[in-house]
Amino acid sequence: MFEELVEIIVNYVEVRKEDIKPESRFMEDLGFTSFDFMSMLGEVEDTLDVEIDQEKAANIRTVQEAADYLAELSR
Amino acid sequence: MNELRSTIYELLEKAEEAYGPRDAIRYKVKRAGENGKRETAVEARTYTQLKNDSGNFGQALLDLGQQGKHIAVLGATSYSWITAYFGIVGSGSVAVPLDANLPAEELCELLDRADVTALVFDETKAETARRAREQCPKLAYCIAMEEGSDVPGALFFWKLVEEAGRKAAASQEILRPRPEDLATIMFTSGTTGKSKGVMLTHQNLAENATALDMGYEPGTVLMSVLPIHHAYCLSMDILKGLSVGAVICINDSLLRVAKNIKLFEPDMILMVPLMVETLAKKLEDASLIPAPILKAKVFGRQFHTICSGGAYLNPAYIDLFKRFGITILQGYGMTECAPVISTNCKSASRPGSIGRPMPNCQVQIVEEEIWVKGSSVMQGYYKMPEETAEALEDGWLKTGDLGYIDQDGFLFLTGRKKNLIITKNGENVSPEEIENKLSKERLVAEVLVRDTDGVLEAEIFPDLEYAAKKRIKDVPAALQKLIDQYNEGAPLYKRIYGLKVREVEFEKNTTRKIKRF
Repeated sequence: MFEELVEIIVNYVEVRKEDIKPESRFMEDLGFTSFDFMSMLGEVEDTLDVEIDQEKAANIRTVQEAADYLAELSR
Repeated sequence: MNELRSTIYELLEKAEEAYGPRDAIRYKVKRAGENGKRETAVEARTYTQLKNDSGNFGQALLDLGQQGKHIAVLGATSYSWITAYFGIVGSGSVAVPLDANLPAEELCELLDRADVTALVFDETKAETARRAREQCPKLAYCIAMEEGSDVPGALFFWKLVEEAGRKAAASQEILRPRPEDLATIMFTSGTTGKSKGVMLTHQNLAENATALDMGYEPGTVLMSVLPIHHAYCLSMDILKGLSVGAVICINDSLLRVAKNIKLFEPDMILMVPLMVETLAKKLEDASLIPAPILKAKVFGRQFHTICSGGAYLNPAYIDLFKRFGITILQGYGMTECAPVISTNCKSASRPGSIGRPMPNCQVQIVEEEIWVKGSSVMQGYYKMPEETAEALEDGWLKTGDLGYIDQDGFLFLTGRKKNLIITKNGENVSPEEIENKLSKERLVAEVLVRDTDGVLEAEIFPDLEYAAKKRIKDVPAALQKLIDQYNEGAPLYKRIYGLKVREVEFEKNTTRKIKRF
């Protein structure tokens, strides 16, 4: 899941894949705005065919947390 | 077509007369498809349905003895939300739209402070409703937008509507609101840290929405993406949209803006600058694709206009979007003016300005500060006479914003008088409010919260004596932990994403207050 997310993240912010770590925080470290972040999750919904809860999404801070949440959803 | 309306009831009534069988609201529903998989479909309600449904809800409120009372609406934008709103204000009651992102505790405090006696909520806010039942003694009714709510004693919104519809003819006559009657109390963050309830009458809201002819054609498709408890969304998407016969499409989640644009094919969208910036990035990243093709792919061929308000927008984006055949109309307002004060429109716009004042507003500049007078200026803050006296002088609203008017009457903003932080998505954050929360921690001796490069940053001078006593070795880490704890309970836009630790205390002014700048 982590690798899949990295592929999507690089389409939204200017970071190199190798610089994205599980503990990277979307806003502070990767430079996402809250709206970028929401838009990216919308794309993830399509790619993975899951439905993301907006309130839960708002509590995601790191790439690992996002990967865990998505893994749980697509189970 | 554009005619001045002076009550919200009249606005909807006239719109229904003109556009009755046309679609007023479109929204997404999930239903089981043929293969058992859940499918997305679009449903619509007409102007006549909206008028009848909201009229019946108004009747139901009358039957519950709630006419003239304060009724809160809490939840995401939905047909039920909009029906509830028109039902409340159309029957002489006062609507109190609340921010669904606030924690339950804060919502209960607002319900209590606004003297709310009935709460209409959607299922995502059931927990808040349950708490409000226990904590708010004035609250007599909880009304659920969905069937089968397990909130104790909750009534079902659509059952009330249906029952009232069946016996409508026999019931007492509803008192129709007058222009000067209070229609809505909207909460806005203030510099004092405590949010203030802005009192808006029918005339304030209805005239703000209808005073200016923006040149919308009936049947214009709008997609509503902003939170509906914001004055900008309620007035400019919903009230203005309906008054000109538009079709309002409800965006169900900020996650799905791009997808919903493809689904609803809107002609225009009201946005905050943050959204404009994100979409601009998308357009810039794909600059190798010819502009018309890219525009059709992202927005659809039909899309032509973005209205931007709520915060400052860099004028460079206006030029960028123009290359794609999209007009950005920048406006300016505040909840206290129901909310639009000035806006660019197709017939009169000037880059870098926030447009000409609305026809129902007078603007003057007093010591650089923008003052506004007119039929949209609020009645005051609910139960806050001191704050009201500070904001209003002889009918003039002191905006706290600094600016000037050019020789052609266009208004320009130069800065903010207050400390209030306006984030890029248009949310107002009072730094004092967050500072007060953080300084409750013993480790925090002094703290300032500010906006640094678009994110909220806290600068903290720690209590080093306390740290030594408690043997805290890594003080920055401990402070970060406190901030993390604060962030968990805070809505997204109030979270702190930067921390600066000071080694010396802040410079103070003569009254021992920290110098902010």
